[in-house]
Amino acid sequence: MHELSMANSIVETVIAEANKRNAESVSEVCLVVGKLSMLGLEQLRYCYKLLTKDTILEKSKLKIELEEGKVHCGRCKFIGPIKIREDPQYHIVYPTLECPKCGGEVEVVSGRNCYIKSIKLRQKIG
Amino acid sequence: MRRIVTPEEGEIFDVELEEQILKANDELATRNSEILRRHGVKAIDVMGSIGSGKTSLIELLIEKLNRKYRIAVFNGDLTTTIDSDRVARHGAEVIQINTGKECHLDANLVFKALNSVNLEQLDLIFIENVGNLICPGEFKLGADKRLVVVSVTEGPYMILKHPFIFMEADVVVINKLDLAESMGVEYEKLRSDALSVNPKVKVIGTICRTGKGIDKVVEALGI
Repeated sequence: MHELSMANSIVETVIAEANKRNAESVSEVCLVVGKLSMLGLEQLRYCYKLLTKDTILEKSKLKIELEEGKVHCGRCKFIGPIKIREDPQYHIVYPTLECPKCGGEVEVVSGRNCYIKSIKLRQKIG
Repeated sequence: MRRIVTPEEGEIFDVELEEQILKANDELATRNSEILRRHGVKAIDVMGSIGSGKTSLIELLIEKLNRKYRIAVFNGDLTTTIDSDRVARHGAEVIQINTGKECHLDANLVFKALNSVNLEQLDLIFIENVGNLICPGEFKLGADKRLVVVSVTEGPYMILKHPFIFMEADVVVINKLDLAESMGVEYEKLRSDALSVNPKVKVIGTICRTGKGIDKVVEALGI
């Protein structure tokens, strides 16, 4: 639901960076989105398209890489993918903060991020 | 023979950025939490769907605690002051945060609200987030505890359908227990759903209309 404000931050950040580097246009933006973030990728792409119209990002390609949800267990020191559980009654699959190894409580160490990894710029000629 | 390759003018070049978009909010949240700690003020982020009972719960908590603490409420809403007016009747200081069209409060809005109150005169702040079971979870505000209110009238699936906000929560309040039977929703199932997503969370059943369960909410929040 907050994809529009996220897309706006992304576009503003990229424009500032491109201007700083005297770029003519931006051809690609590579974004990393954590699987445990609450961002909808389809909506994010749609908002990005709307917001980049008539800017130096207009023809840019938005590349999205997904970051896996990783957890750390304080008890058994497990570090790895977050446990996914299924509720057979409702046919719902959901992540849980239970340690996949010992059943203890885990902390999320990655998968919540959203960051701009890199951008491709075209420099002004002359 | 050695060759040196340099980019031509007009050529495309890569820039590594690593620019965190969500982290900017996290940093502001940390700043809020430091400000609160410096003034000895505790803050509770109250999240939940529209109509789940966030305002009712806050009203009850104020009634329960206003002799012990000096309390303020930050009310996040799109445009109206309905909730603020309700809370103000209980004598707490109320700051309305209108988000316009935004679906959640963020750390910057809360920072502005913190600047508009006299923190020396306060012990406790309830931050009522925008009614939404998705986005507020992603934006930390700098509160000591995060509480999610759900009610049985939202149906039996809302916890498993929105696991992410429950992963962020310290306390889950399941409200309107008096309507559970008519709704065909079981409190125990909702409770086990919340614990299944987040084994650390404290789950409390309430009936905010009558005040049932409010003591346990206070206990769970450690205030």
